[in-house]
Amino acid sequence: MRTRTALAVAAATMAALTAGCSSGGGAGGGDQAAGPVSLKFLSLAWQKESIAANKQLVDEWNKANPTTKVEYVQGSWDNVNDQLVTSFEGGDPPDVIHDDSPALAGFASRGYLMDLTGKLPADLKSDIPQPAWDTVTFADGKGGQGVYGVPFLQESQVIIANKKLLDAAKVRIPTPDSPWTWDEYAEISKKLTKDGAFGVAWPLKSPVNKVLNLGLNFGGTFFTTDGTKATVKVGPEEREVLQRIHDQLYKDKSADPSALGMGTADPLPGFYAGKYAMLPAGVYLRQQVVEQAPPGFEWITIPPLKGTTSEQGATSQTLSVAADSKYPDQATKFISFFLNSTNQAKLAKGDWLLPTSVKAASDPSMTTTENGWDVATASAKDLVVAPYLRVNGFDEWKSKVATPTLQQYFANKITLDQAAETLVTEGDKVLERYNK
Amino acid sequence: MTLTADRTRKPAADHRGAGKRSRQGRETFVLMLPALVPVLIFSVGPLLYGIFLAFTDARSGRNAVTSFVGLSNFGDLMTDADFWASFRIGLIWAVSVTVLQFLASLGLALLLNEDLRFRSFTRVLVLVPWAMPPVVIGLMWRLVYHPNAGILNSVLTDVGLLDHNIDWLNDFSIALPAVIVVGIWTGMPQTTVVLLAGLQGVPKELYEAGHMDGASTFRRFWSITLPQLRPVIVTITSLDFVWNINQFGLVYVLTQGGPGGQTRLPMLFAYEEAFRYGFFGYAATLGVAFVIVVLAVLGLYIWRQMREAN
Repeated sequence: MRTRTALAVAAATMAALTAGCSSGGGAGGGDQAAGPVSLKFLSLAWQKESIAANKQLVDEWNKANPTTKVEYVQGSWDNVNDQLVTSFEGGDPPDVIHDDSPALAGFASRGYLMDLTGKLPADLKSDIPQPAWDTVTFADGKGGQGVYGVPFLQESQVIIANKKLLDAAKVRIPTPDSPWTWDEYAEISKKLTKDGAFGVAWPLKSPVNKVLNLGLNFGGTFFTTDGTKATVKVGPEEREVLQRIHDQLYKDKSADPSALGMGTADPLPGFYAGKYAMLPAGVYLRQQVVEQAPPGFEWITIPPLKGTTSEQGATSQTLSVAADSKYPDQATKFISFFLNSTNQAKLAKGDWLLPTSVKAASDPSMTTTENGWDVATASAKDLVVAPYLRVNGFDEWKSKVATPTLQQYFANKITLDQAAETLVTEGDKVLERYNK
Repeated sequence: MTLTADRTRKPAADHRGAGKRSRQGRETFVLMLPALVPVLIFSVGPLLYGIFLAFTDARSGRNAVTSFVGLSNFGDLMTDADFWASFRIGLIWAVSVTVLQFLASLGLALLLNEDLRFRSFTRVLVLVPWAMPPVVIGLMWRLVYHPNAGILNSVLTDVGLLDHNIDWLNDFSIALPAVIVVGIWTGMPQTTVVLLAGLQGVPKELYEAGHMDGASTFRRFWSITLPQLRPVIVTITSLDFVWNINQFGLVYVLTQGGPGGQTRLPMLFAYEEAFRYGFFGYAATLGVAFVIVVLAVLGLYIWRQMREAN
């Protein structure tokens, strides 16, 4: 008898404890109307200018809206998605979340984010063109579709080049209206390869997104989607860019193989020293060139290359509202303020990326020839939604299959046929788990 | 406790004995309850929940529906090439770290057991890595291994052993050995201290006797020190093995399992499955499978050692 009483007491204690925990979460929702509300804003800004711009905008908002206090929380791209999964599952996520569109796809289908359809002001909606909205429109995991964030910064792949070396080789300097084709680029790279210097350095430590985004130049999508099911595809279109980069490394020998293991910014010292004439990179790398280049170093931004088209796959940096946020209306209002065209121009300048806002893109600071802003901003017109954004399980395919396979291919350890075979068969196995 | 209980019960061993025994058991239980509740809530509860999850298809997500799937997770695990790759890496890591750590620590312990100058100071110094949390150790070694600014590359270049910088933690073939070195360094203090304590417990008379009989230094080490240390060695190497195969923080900070999964220890694999890809059920299966593997390996090892000792 006493044993049973003791057990009952233990069970009751446990029940009380668990109840205590779960009611703790619910109680907060009750006092919505009373007093000033407070929002947590998880920002991933990391460049100095960008952090300053973010904090300044938050201060501005807090001064103008004393009833909705926004608290700036610093996050980091390195571990933000692990951090968010735990806070979503724990039920206490930040209200306003800075992330990028590849991550949103997964979060949206799991119901972590709020659908913003119909909740955003018309002027913000019309200020951002449809291709950018496409990068944040995802399946909600229940058969419908929704808009799960506001896209505000985009990145295109350009080439940063040493102007003196280009002038010395007497090559044509391209413009956004008449860009280099991949063939022309390969010829020029060969021409620039002399006296121990290479025409180009391909830093391919994380090759997947770069190759997939450029793949669209030849119509390479890497995935076919049939309804909700996705499969990997590596056909002739997909092989173009892979083969061309590989040729530069091992056939033309116009690309430095020792740069392969580098991250995007790592070849910069060699670039300043004239070891490589050209550096394919995202537009944001201009910031580091401006800050670190030795005095007298002349550089230019080369517009995106053209294959059969100039199209590049785009992802966006985004602001979203957590589905568990207690103050979704205030959070949406804050996002609308934070991403109006004036503020987008400030944020884009701080991060050296492209604003999605049409008005912000026409801001004089975004079209100046200084530091290649005109070329960078013009490249935004060729950005289309990256096909892999719609693929459930892309992240796992990328880290388990694509990254090691492409690294091995570019290191010339396997052939293109072998790489394609692995990407498809191993890849489909990974995707199958998500297609269930 | 059972012994005392037996003894007190003996005189009254008649028809009332059974009733008394169960009352005593109940009293013991009530007395233990305050200690049991936290253990049940914070330790046994989550453990059972984890084991339960292993048999479900639990996924992350607010609209995810969890259902019971029986052993299918275990079936998937058996045929998952990534898991076996990770398992292999885990074994290489745990065995090499444990063995090398043991050898290095034994050497260090023997040295510290000699009558050297500043002996107590050196003994304190040996403990320093123990005082550092794994994350700090990871960050520190990441700086040591840094391809351009790291002290290792610059020292090796100055000495003339290297003519170009090596990216230790991102090279496919060097990353795992580089991480193993850090693992050995991290675990040395515990092992050294335990072995040193064991060495100090070896009776001096044995050495004197060995000396009298003209045994060489090596012979004395082989026939006196090692057999005397055996229980300590068995204990510390098995503990080290369990610690090492469950290592997470250190490697997460150093490489996050990269490059291309070359340092993806089983626990990192489980972490990725759960928190990156959101397959909680599958990750739990992996945890359960690993508990079984570790218990099996340890059981075998300890059983053999015990049998030899007898």
